[in-house]
Amino acid sequence: MDQAQILDHQFVAAAYTITWVIQLGYLAWLGWKWRTEKRNAERRSPGRR
Amino acid sequence: MKKLGIGLYAVVTVALMIWGFYQAIYVAPDDALQGYIFRIIYYHVPSFAAAFTFFSVSFLGSIAFLSFRRSRPEWAQIADAWALAGAEVGVVFCSVGLTTGPLWGRRAWGIWWTWDARLTTTLVLWLIYVSYLLMRRFAAGPQVQTLAAVLGIFGALDVPIVYMANRWWRTQHPAPVFGGAEGSGMKDPAMLAAFGWNMLAWFAWGIFVLILRFNVERKHQQYAEEEAQEALAANI
Repeated sequence: MDQAQILDHQFVAAAYTITWVIQLGYLAWLGWKWRTEKRNAERRSPGRR
Repeated sequence: MKKLGIGLYAVVTVALMIWGFYQAIYVAPDDALQGYIFRIIYYHVPSFAAAFTFFSVSFLGSIAFLSFRRSRPEWAQIADAWALAGAEVGVVFCSVGLTTGPLWGRRAWGIWWTWDARLTTTLVLWLIYVSYLLMRRFAAGPQVQTLAAVLGIFGALDVPIVYMANRWWRTQHPAPVFGGAEGSGMKDPAMLAAFGWNMLAWFAWGIFVLILRFNVERKHQQYAEEEAQEALAANI
């Protein structure tokens, strides 16, 4: 593997990693927001789901 | 039953993501001109296709909100939740596209960025929707939803300009993968398959997070309404 091929490989790995970090980060934030809203609703009317 | 459906959809989406990744990295051949770096395109193009689709959801939601805000307030709230969800998920996908693009450009062109028509209009699109989200987050008052809907409609008008930019003007950005001039686009069936699988996988993922975001916003709206009703009752 020459230097250019190694660099190409590193750039592809970086692009795929960044994609997954952004998407999974957003999903985690959504999950946290969902939990907050659910807790708010439960605090308002306990017993209701 | 609902939980089973969501679980099944999540499993299919994850399977599609894994299969798409396998196709892009291990099955598709290197591009004849660009070599290995071309594999970034299997994530880059579907991200923008999804972003444009979700900005269109925001556009339709914004129009529906403005249409129903006086006659059917409940419908207007649902439309507003779709508009917000579409804008937010669109910004996430657009951010992915704007990050993976320069990584490809650095190796293919030797530069991270250039102010050509396609790239500049895309950055403007991203900035418009980021300002939309910032307004929704920090502005207060009864007119925020209406102002956001107007901004959402104007923002979406940039989508066809971005799409057509490398057809209307001479740009450094490559020709379209589909719908470009004769002879442009992918030819190898293995590359087309990798592209198709990743397109399917990212749309499945995008729809999943879009529906999740919509439901979070609906819950938030219900909570805000209950709180407003209680405050009103306390003042009477």
